[in-house]
Amino acid sequence: MILIIVSLTVFVLYPIFRVFTFPAAFDFLRIPQNPRYLKAILNSLLMTGLSTTTATLFGFLFAYAVTRTDVPLKKTFRFISILPLFSPPFMVAFSYMMMFGKNGLISYQLFGIRLNIFGWHGLWLSETIAFFPIAALVMEGVLQSIAPSLEYAGRNLGATGFKLFRTVTLPLARPGVAGAALLVSIQVLADFGNPIMIAGDFSVLATEAWLRVEGWGDVRGAAVLSSLLLLPSFLLFLVQRYWVRQRSYITVTGKLALVDIQKTRGSIRWLLFGFCTLVSVMILLVYVALILGACVKGWGFDWTPTLQHIQSILSRSPELVHSLTFGLLAGIISAAIAMTAAYLVSRKRFLFRSFVDFTSILPAAIPGIFFGIGYSIAFTRPPFDLYGTAAIMVLSMIFWNISMGYQTGIATFSQISPSIHEAASNLGAGSMKILWEIEAPLIRGSFLSAFVVSFIRAVTTLSVIVFLATQNNRVATFTIMNLVSDGFYGKAAALTTALLVVSFAVLGMAKWIIGKKMELFKVQ
Amino acid sequence: MTQAIHLRIQNVSKRFGKVQALKNLTLDIPRGSFTTFLGPSGCGKTTLLRAIAGFYEVDQGEIFIGERKINDVPSHLRNAIMVFQDYALFPHMDIRENIIYGLKIKKLPDEEIERRCAKTVQYLGLEGLLQRSPGQISGGQQQRVALARALIMEPEVLLLDEPLSNLDAKLRVNIRAELRQLQKRLGITTIYVTHDQAEALALSDQVAVMNQGEIVQCGSPWEIYFHPGSTFVASFVGTANLLEGRIVENESGRILVEAEGTEIHLEVEESLPAVGSKVILCMRPETIEIVEGTTEERANLIPGQVRNALFEGSHLRYWVEALDREWVVDVFDPANKKIQEGSILLRLPPGKLHIIPETGSQGDIS
Repeated sequence: MILIIVSLTVFVLYPIFRVFTFPAAFDFLRIPQNPRYLKAILNSLLMTGLSTTTATLFGFLFAYAVTRTDVPLKKTFRFISILPLFSPPFMVAFSYMMMFGKNGLISYQLFGIRLNIFGWHGLWLSETIAFFPIAALVMEGVLQSIAPSLEYAGRNLGATGFKLFRTVTLPLARPGVAGAALLVSIQVLADFGNPIMIAGDFSVLATEAWLRVEGWGDVRGAAVLSSLLLLPSFLLFLVQRYWVRQRSYITVTGKLALVDIQKTRGSIRWLLFGFCTLVSVMILLVYVALILGACVKGWGFDWTPTLQHIQSILSRSPELVHSLTFGLLAGIISAAIAMTAAYLVSRKRFLFRSFVDFTSILPAAIPGIFFGIGYSIAFTRPPFDLYGTAAIMVLSMIFWNISMGYQTGIATFSQISPSIHEAASNLGAGSMKILWEIEAPLIRGSFLSAFVVSFIRAVTTLSVIVFLATQNNRVATFTIMNLVSDGFYGKAAALTTALLVVSFAVLGMAKWIIGKKMELFKVQ
Repeated sequence: MTQAIHLRIQNVSKRFGKVQALKNLTLDIPRGSFTTFLGPSGCGKTTLLRAIAGFYEVDQGEIFIGERKINDVPSHLRNAIMVFQDYALFPHMDIRENIIYGLKIKKLPDEEIERRCAKTVQYLGLEGLLQRSPGQISGGQQQRVALARALIMEPEVLLLDEPLSNLDAKLRVNIRAELRQLQKRLGITTIYVTHDQAEALALSDQVAVMNQGEIVQCGSPWEIYFHPGSTFVASFVGTANLLEGRIVENESGRILVEAEGTEIHLEVEESLPAVGSKVILCMRPETIEIVEGTTEERANLIPGQVRNALFEGSHLRYWVEALDREWVVDVFDPANKKIQEGSILLRLPPGKLHIIPETGSQGDIS
């Protein structure tokens, strides 16, 4: 218990604290005088507004189509929409660059147009596609938990088609929509991978912070900028967590009647089907681009098939090995700490209970960039000098992802009735025995899904590790970023593909172990 | 009952995947009557109700309201309004908005809505709750609001899906009485679904007992209780002591049944199977008497041993072992009687025994 409290303090709170204290108060006061800062703030807000709106809208339409109508190919659509959640977020931007950029396969080779995708519009497109799955996932849950008898009642009283949607379904889903929008906006605001790849000169807070360090070695400036990022993000998080959730109309009734889906009007059905197809194609294009990119000599000018990129990354690529080992380590430790913290918080009363609860949730509200800067300030100089080590990478991955496993854990423990616990102790089992013999088997599933989520987030993150990676401890995402910025698209695509293969392999294995009922990314 | 038929269900079947939920059901429901679908869970009663409401399409058969076939009429044009088990009040609207929702959708003029709303609200005693939200009122009140939302539509047929099952026991009994009064006053054809046999007996003009997708018996509560057509109905509705036997004599209302080596006399006016056929005797716990000690009479007396007794206030319930089986016997008004123990005699009153033909013994509940 003490171990958990101390590690949360050192590895979550301390770096956050350091980001705020590292720059002088003077640095914060100078914000309004720096046009670059102002521009970044403005751009960040603009993108958050734009991308959140479209991603939420897409998510809602998509979720509505697959849960409430009878469009064909629902299962396929659903499956495709989940894919981006298991992939590095920057991947979308990277692929669209290859598909729709100046030498893009589709824009130039197919249509002969020299599109300039760099800038806010490219970023808008990438972020919409990259983050709408989160919204869709949340909204599917919301739409499914609306008691079917409410819609039946509405229909029975005379509301049909769009009227039913407008007077019953939509108002009931509204809190869910708000929740989804907030979750998406946190992601968009903190997004680093997409803007660094595709935004060009259009700087947002996250990329500007990176440029500060990379270009000027100005860690203070980066700290100031990422603090600016933290505040709205944290605010959105609080609103989402404590306000929207309380307003939800989700009714949990034991008896679920068989929902039989009414036939949707032909025109609407085909419109929704067309929409889902379009979005799915856009997602699939991402993967097609990567695999193609990995297999041709020079994207945009030399389309001869080759295996050289794949060979080169397989033969000498410490980053892939690093990604895998760091990710596995971070995944296991993160899940273990998260589960233990969840166990303590839900089953024990102790002095620092709410402290543990808060600090375990906190990382969910923190943009990766901020967390990364925090680690680079806190742990690259005495008393904690971990500069360039594997440890600093793994630690940052562990604690940045802890809130995911923690939430899963809390949900699991609240489902296991305390009376099971009481029954065991009543029959003479001690505290440890109960944990290992009674609760462990029950939580194995959620431990594994916590592990998988942590692992995938660890191997796909760029923002957290971008400040921590060096020659010695670099991971795949970091290298991909450098390869892309230097124009080595083939190698970058090959490395991304390899990364995807690795993460899907781990995912597949976990799924195979747990069986069918694994629920990942159950965003709440 | 000479009223006109209001709702006709003809040869209706419905299948969900592999489950045959309704098997070729036929039933007539008179205008203005209170009809109950009674049965264990999974018997198809809710499915039938939902098919009438128009939420499920039936695979076969026809449903008529009056002369109109409604198979292909959408739910909201059938004017068969349903009250849901979980009430299904819209959580994002206040009570008033909930009640007038259907009228709003119909685009009735405001004065009309206002008039009907005032009337319904007064009828159900919901004044003062109109501005609240569904989460702020009690279960009993929610139940009334759900009823108000249905009644304001002035439905042709009112459908109630276990509306009392979420209320506590006392409230349930009160609302039960109110509901029956209200229905009589409005004269509205009502279909009620429940698995609670006491509710069915208390409320209905007509009870349709269902099991495994079929209507096993349909009749007045009186018929269902005292003249069950099968052992299933006998045991599902109330408690029954069942005894297998054979008719050995049948002469002008005096019947002799032989069971387990004992002769039992009956005086009933039912039409019975021929002499020699196997039958099942059905005896309700409260019709059997317990006789202490010895008596001169020999007829219809069976020696037994008291195994257990429970005092339930209005009556004493005994479990008695006799003729190699367990009998349940209720003794009412136990105030001045002591609790029996040991050997006793059971008296089976000849006029209160009921005979179920052997063919009615299929579909046993186990």
